[in-house]
Amino acid sequence: MSASASAPRLRLDPRQPAVSVAGTTLVVLALGLLLELGGRAEWWDVIPPLSAMFQGVAGLVGDAQFWSDAYRTGLEVAVSLVFGSVFGLLAGITFWKLPAVGRAFEPYLVALYAVPLALFYPFMIVLVGINVWSVILLATAMAAIPMALNTAVGLASMRPVYTKLGRSLNLSPRQMLFAVALPAAGPYLVAGLRMALVYSLIGCVAMEFVTAQAGLGYRIRYLYEIFDDTGMYAYILVVLLISVALTVLLGLVERLILRGRISW
Amino acid sequence: MVSTSSLTIARSRISPLPKIALTRNTVGPVVLAAAVLLLWQISSGLVFVIPSPAATVQELFANLADPQYRTDLAVTAGATVRAFVVGAGIGFVLGLLVGFSDWAKALLEPLLVAFNGLPKIVLYPILLQMFSLGGGKVAMGILFALFPVFVNVATGVRELPPVYWKLALSTRASRWQRLVHIVLPGIRKPLLTGIRLSVSLAMSGVVLSEFFATDRGLGRVVLQAFSHAEYATMVATLVLLIVTSFVISVALWNLEKKIR
Repeated sequence: MSASASAPRLRLDPRQPAVSVAGTTLVVLALGLLLELGGRAEWWDVIPPLSAMFQGVAGLVGDAQFWSDAYRTGLEVAVSLVFGSVFGLLAGITFWKLPAVGRAFEPYLVALYAVPLALFYPFMIVLVGINVWSVILLATAMAAIPMALNTAVGLASMRPVYTKLGRSLNLSPRQMLFAVALPAAGPYLVAGLRMALVYSLIGCVAMEFVTAQAGLGYRIRYLYEIFDDTGMYAYILVVLLISVALTVLLGLVERLILRGRISW
Repeated sequence: MVSTSSLTIARSRISPLPKIALTRNTVGPVVLAAAVLLLWQISSGLVFVIPSPAATVQELFANLADPQYRTDLAVTAGATVRAFVVGAGIGFVLGLLVGFSDWAKALLEPLLVAFNGLPKIVLYPILLQMFSLGGGKVAMGILFALFPVFVNVATGVRELPPVYWKLALSTRASRWQRLVHIVLPGIRKPLLTGIRLSVSLAMSGVVLSEFFATDRGLGRVVLQAFSHAEYATMVATLVLLIVTSFVISVALWNLEKKIR
């Protein structure tokens, strides 16, 4: 309704993607400039200037410790993403095939949607020990929940004409699943995969941050405890940069995969 | 992003009588809970670090009788409530802004969506320095709680049918009247979805922060019990946190399904 006043004098249309990208870039640059100037002029004493943080990040590139932490976190995220998506997909298909099972699990999945599961971490380290598996097990569960719910919703909202076509072609249950149902739920599955990656990354870093032996989240905690603020800010910035890069990349991949699909 | 309101498993449009629906939708989850309890009981006999369900409940009541523990409980509850109220409030205002203004959507939405994908917990050391031990976890909870309300309000406002605005024009409703009589009722369902997610995220943000560093709170109790190998206290506190979050979420979720 606010757009109703868009008279010819307004030349930039915020609804155009290019304008949005340029505008967002400007906002990011302005925020970065504020962080740089504020840090230099010491308007606040907490966050160092952005250039100093980026210098710290550049210093990490040649640091073997950094690569070993990044490898640890990357391994945890990758393993939990693979396990989580497979379990989530299987669970989603089960909920679709056996609605009674779906109804039994539904309130728990909805109420414990991903992030609150991280609270079980202290219990997990008692059971499994402070190692890579306690992180992977919980991150797998965190990744599996959005994948399972998205798969179930995607399959349940499939248009009936698809299954009718499959039946009239006398497809086997396996063909029905792989050739009809899963492709029909495609956009939901891709969105589920994206959320699974986001949650496994959030989960792994958050759990390392609570306590661990290695990993990017653990290193931030360690540097905080030994009062190495410069190193800590470099690690925080690296984690944020990696996550933003992943989010942007996933958005592009999602668009690429779904390109050419008939919208419905 | 698929809004979470559509993530509930689709059921038939024609809803059966409420009583039937209640039994149909309660039996499964209760059976599952009983199975998990049974599994818990069996594994507590096999692994010595797992306290049995009965021992856990006993420990929980023993803890609740301890005034120290109740202080920790009150600190965590207070921080969660503050984080939820402020976070949901900020999310609501941002949601209205992005829902109504094309410019706010163009400039802010990509940033907010990218921010949601971040492991925000790594900002906690910074928040600690800015807001001290008591305020840092509330700030963390706010960052956790803000997003679901924001995204649901923004999409809710965008999906309001245009005929509503024609009605507002024809009745010459003021801005405030439009907000109270058109927007709020119109987005009640996505708003409730946002609030439901926001409550459990506020609690997760606060407790995760308490795991890291804080003066008082149940998160600290859990980690302390862990380092002293008092596993019954640890499990009892975790169960208290998870069950509280679960009960609130399910209550809001049922409310959400009831309103149309």
